[in-house]
Amino acid sequence: MTVIAFSDVDVLDVLVVAAVAVTAILAIAIPRRVGATIAFLVFGLLLALLWARVAAPDVAIAEAALGGGVAGALLVDALHRRQPAQPKRDHRRAVAITAVGAALGAVTFAALATVLSRLTAEPADLGPLALEAVERSGVSHPITAVLLNFRNLDTLLEIAVVVFAAVGAAALSRDRIRTVTDPGPVRRVIAVIIVPALVLLAAWLLVAGTSEPGGAFQAGAVLGAALIIAHLCGVRAARAAGGRALVLVVAGLLAFILLGGIGLAVTGTWLALDLSWAFAAILSIETLLTVSIGVALAMLFLAAGSRDDAAAADSAAAAPALGGAA
Amino acid sequence: MTTLQLFMYAGAFILVVGVAATLLVRDLIRRLIALNVASGGVMLLWLALADRGDGEPDPVPQALVLTGIVVMAAVTGIAIVLARRVEQLDDDLEEVEQ
Repeated sequence: MTVIAFSDVDVLDVLVVAAVAVTAILAIAIPRRVGATIAFLVFGLLLALLWARVAAPDVAIAEAALGGGVAGALLVDALHRRQPAQPKRDHRRAVAITAVGAALGAVTFAALATVLSRLTAEPADLGPLALEAVERSGVSHPITAVLLNFRNLDTLLEIAVVVFAAVGAAALSRDRIRTVTDPGPVRRVIAVIIVPALVLLAAWLLVAGTSEPGGAFQAGAVLGAALIIAHLCGVRAARAAGGRALVLVVAGLLAFILLGGIGLAVTGTWLALDLSWAFAAILSIETLLTVSIGVALAMLFLAAGSRDDAAAADSAAAAPALGGAA
Repeated sequence: MTTLQLFMYAGAFILVVGVAATLLVRDLIRRLIALNVASGGVMLLWLALADRGDGEPDPVPQALVLTGIVVMAAVTGIAIVLARRVEQLDDDLEEVEQ
């Protein structure tokens, strides 16, 4: 057991890690949704600093666009809803539950820390193997090679999860998605300036992903953000709902399955790519995935942001009465 | 203690805190935030593991973390829709009881 000394560690790293831990605790401990959401957004921002420290620019881009961007928009958008009053728990019982939770958490952490303390400083064998095989993958960026070639089954299943989430969310709130009718001149100008820039950025991220950080996930997240902004600025065509959006979302999944079938027919292995056409296949499937992910995220946002105005007004009016009754 | 160990232990701590809160918090949106915090811990832990050694970081965990971010965003989206549905049904139920 080595003595823990912080001499090897940069003071700034310690500060950022401490801030990350504190915001994590705040995000789970603040009882009001608004406070918890803000703490969580700060937590995500600070994490992005750490991604730079562990040499993960791809993750940083995706986190900025998705974790802080789309997920943040989803959570902030949920804030306008009235937080339902929690039934009062017996104070002693609440303390007991928290104590048991903290104790079990401490045991779990101790177990995890024991495992981590026994890890070697040597990287796993898989990393060098993957880096070595990059030149046979059709693309030169290792992470894109892993995502779209070596482990493209993961990516296929991931896109399936995204499709199911989008379809499920749309089904749950089909009739309540509102269109923005009068966005006003400012938002119209914002749409004209920002949306084309975001679409261009998405296209660049997509193509750049074959040789440097970027790729379908980041491009899809940016495209999703562009669609959400366009929708909020009253662009009718950007409304990601209904059959048209569904076709675009499902197309990515179906094309990926088709690619797997082509791999089986040509190379004899499901989802395998032959080097002669791997680049073309990866770039085409990434293009479809970008559209799929972007539209799916916009669908999720619209479904989550949809609201039944009449019911909301009713419940707001009923709230004081309920408070009095309780 | 090296920087990477610091990141790994911090990741494990955030994971545990997030999972515990996901199980204990009753407000649905706060529970969802706790789940997102837990996933942040997993990401930190795994990216630190990927960056062991002197050379290029291991692309496999990084790719899986990327997949995880997209899946987590999708999960957050549908969970918010479901949470709203549950709360609306609760509201309706209260109105009926009155």
